[in-house]
Parts: sequence; structure tokens; C-alpha cells
Amino acid sequence: MTETAASSSKGRPSGDKNSGKRGFFGRIILFIRQVIAELKKVVTPTRKELVNYTLVVLVFVIIMMIIVTILDFAFGNAAIWLFSGGPPDQ
Amino acid sequence: MLSAFARAFRTPDLRRKLLFTLGIIVIYRLGTFIPSPGVDYGNVQQCLALGNTTGGVYELVNLFSGGALLQVSIFALGIMPYITASIITQLLRVVIPRFEELHKEGQQGQAKLTQYTRYLTIALGLLQATTLVSLARSGQLLGQCPVPIIPNDTIITVLLIIITMTAGTGLIMWMGELITEKGVGNGMSLLIFISIASGFPTSLGQILTTQGWTIFLGVLLLGLVVVALVVFVEQSQRRIPVQYAKRMVGRRTMGGSSTYIPIKVNMAGVIPVIFASAMLSLPALIAQFNTPAQGEAPEWVQWVSNTFAARESPLYMAIYFALIVFFTYFYVSITFNPEEVSDNMKKYGGFIPGIRAGRPTSEYLQYVISRITTAGALYLGVIALIPLIALVTLGANANFPFGGAAILIIVGVGLETVKQIDAQLQQRHYEGLLR
Repeated sequence: MTETAASSSKGRPSGDKNSGKRGFFGRIILFIRQVIAELKKVVTPTRKELVNYTLVVLVFVIIMMIIVTILDFAFGNAAIWLFSGGPPDQ
Repeated sequence: MLSAFARAFRTPDLRRKLLFTLGIIVIYRLGTFIPSPGVDYGNVQQCLALGNTTGGVYELVNLFSGGALLQVSIFALGIMPYITASIITQLLRVVIPRFEELHKEGQQGQAKLTQYTRYLTIALGLLQATTLVSLARSGQLLGQCPVPIIPNDTIITVLLIIITMTAGTGLIMWMGELITEKGVGNGMSLLIFISIASGFPTSLGQILTTQGWTIFLGVLLLGLVVVALVVFVEQSQRRIPVQYAKRMVGRRTMGGSSTYIPIKVNMAGVIPVIFASAMLSLPALIAQFNTPAQGEAPEWVQWVSNTFAARESPLYMAIYFALIVFFTYFYVSITFNPEEVSDNMKKYGGFIPGIRAGRPTSEYLQYVISRITTAGALYLGVIALIPLIALVTLGANANFPFGGAAILIIVGVGLETVKQIDAQLQQRHYEGLLR
């Protein structure tokens, strides 16, 4: 870990120096390369984590949808009954 | 896993928070069905049943308010004015130095900014309520409906409706803040989540009846893929190693541990998507208000509604993508302050191996963040476009009023909320939901 951080910190000043000489596209390419370099250091979730999270989120969303649907059904019918002064069919 | 949900309810502290949030949600949905004073509820239902509410523009805004807009209810405006107001205040920080000063002041300045946001929300609510009522009066709101929505349209009634709707906006804003404060999750995004979720089963049902099982399963599969993708990005992080120096406090050694600063690839979460969608619904809305009741609409209005209401146009997608990227950057720059982090590290004797404390550290953090966020922003933009494109190719676009953004917002907010509940559970040394 120490090594990677140190090497990237060394890489930066030299990159800055170079960017003065590089052209517009050169700088863009440098930036893209730096982005890729940073992306390589990203820690991605494991498969187990991914599956677990996905399931939990799905369950949560479905539960919320069921709750909201029930609420909507109840309130909708109540509103029709209250405000239009008649049975739901019209 | 289900036992974890049950455990969440068995923890007294968390149970209170969850029930509080649910209570607010109940109130929010209740308000959606209470018609504004002076509005004939029977007539509105009759007009809605006619099904003249075509045009993506309505659906777009209607979805954000959870169906309240077309019901002309007291919560007709939904959380939209609040979102718009908070976008504007955030953006103004760049333009008005005073706002920036306030932001840097810390707690007190932040309170002042929140206050401004609230005032702006009320002003925007007033504006939108007025336009909505004038549309309702002229009968434009619900297509060409034969029966009047507001039978007795005197000045008093109209003013009453406007005031009620503005008050409704204020109430929603308050409820959102209450959720953030005393409930679970971010109130603003949770209320949007609820609004969108309320329209979801209907849309899915429509797809099933009109398009058949194949498309329906395709949409479900697509949803699953998007969920997995969003989870993947949300959980990816760049870890910057931090070493804490050993120091003596009294007779004991403190610190000396090595940890890391987790920098999420997408630090901004779903907020950029919400902001971008809100921004994109504005031109269509303006066009709608400028459409005359009779006769041909002006050329620009037609152009705008063609581009923005039909979400399959390439220009719309391009702007959507660009806005998401922009807001991601913007939001990250607002929420993460490298100087503050490096200052804090210095205070507690921490340093990134190989980099000096102080300015070089904050520069290094800035370097990493700007690069990581580039990837995150592009990723978020692409993910937001996937459902949009896929729905168009599946031919199910017409049924999904919000295209891809709806799925993305739902998943994003769901994940955020679940993670908050999980964090609360773990505080009590339980295993948590996410294991």
C-alpha cells in the first residue's frame, strides 16, 4: 500500500511538468491514463457482497412498493367515497 | 436476511425511526388524495377517466409528485419546488460570493443557507401553484375535459387553492427534513422514491397487459441488471492509506494504527440523477405552460416538447448524460473538502505514506478525487442511459413515464436507505442487514 501511494505521488509532479510541454490532446490522454491508473486501485465488492446487497435492496424496494400500493388503494377509495359522494364506480 | 429485517424492528431505537419514517410516508400519501378546496373531485376523476392526459410532459411532473398533480390535490406540487430550490441555492454559491462565504462559515452559515432554500421553495411553490391553477381553470390541465375542474372560479377560490398548494409544498418540505433528522435515509430522496414507487406497479401492470410476458420479463431482468450495476458502483471505493503516528497520552500510547480513507467511485450517490431529471423536466414544463388552449403552438414550443417529452431523441439523451456528469462533479466538489480532510488528519497525527502533511496532502486528495470522480460520473451517466435505451428498444418506453431515471432513483435511494438502516444496526453490534 505504502509503495503504491508513494509511486503515484512521485508520478504526479513529473506529470505536471510534462503537461506544460504536451499539447491539448496530449494532456487529455495523460488525464485519461491517470484516471485508469486510479481506477486500477479501486477495491470492488466481492461477488457475495454484490449478490447480498442486490437482494436486500430488491426486498426493500418491493416492501416499500407494497406498502405504498396498499396505502394508495385505501386512500384512493376513501377519497372517492368522501368527496364525490357516491360509490367508487362512476 | 428476513430475520435481519425483523431484528431492525426489534431494536427500540431503530424501530422508532422506521415507524416515524413510515408515518410520514402515510401522511404524504394521504395528502396526495385530498383535493384542494374548490376543486370538484368527482369532475377531476371523470376527466382522468377520459384519459386525455397524454403527452409525456404531464407524466414527467406527475410522477415526481406521485400522481398528486393531476388529482389537483393539496400536495399537487410534491417535492419538486424543494428540489429545484436546493439546486438553485447550490448553483448560486458559485455566482454569489456571499453564499460561498456562508457555506464556509460552517454550522451557522449552513443554517442560513437552509433558510434561503426554504424561502426559495415557498416562492417557487407559489409560482408553480399559480401556473397550475391557471391551467386547471382553462381546462388545459386534464386535456379537453367537458366538465370544469373548478366549478366556482371566483378570485377568492383561486387564491385559496394557490395558498393551499403552497402550504402543501411547505409541509412536504418540512416532512422531508423531519425524515432526514429523525427518521432513516435522506428525506428529499426518500419522498421522491415514494412518489415514483407509487406509479411503478401500475406501469408494470400496463406493460404486462399491453406488451405481453416477454417484454415484461425483459423489463424485470433489466431492472435486476441495473440494481446490480448500481450496487457495484456504489460499493467500489478507492482506499487511500493513512498512517497514524504513535503518540503518548499520559502513560499510554495512542494511535499508531494504519487505516484508509475510503473514496467512493461515485461519491455523489443518486443526487445527480435526481437533479438532472428535475432540470430536464423544466423545459418541457415551460413549453406546456406556453401552449395555447386552441390553435397551433409556437414553433419553439413544438420543438421543445418533441425533444424533451419524447425521451428517445438523441439530443435528450446527450443533455441528460452531460447534466449527470456535471452534477456529479458539482456535488462531489460541494460535499468533499480535501483541505478539511487533510487538516483533520494533521490534527490527529495522520499522514498518507509518502506524502507530506498539509498542502501536499490536500493536493493529493484533490488529484485522486478529480480522477476517480471522472470515472464515477461517466459510469453514472452510462448506467442512467442503459434503461433509457433498453426501454426504447424493447418498445416499453411509453409505459414508463420516466424511462431510466425512475429505476435508477429507486435503486439508488433504496440502497442508501438500506445502508443507513444497516449502519444503525451495526452500531448495536448486530450483524446488520448486509451480510
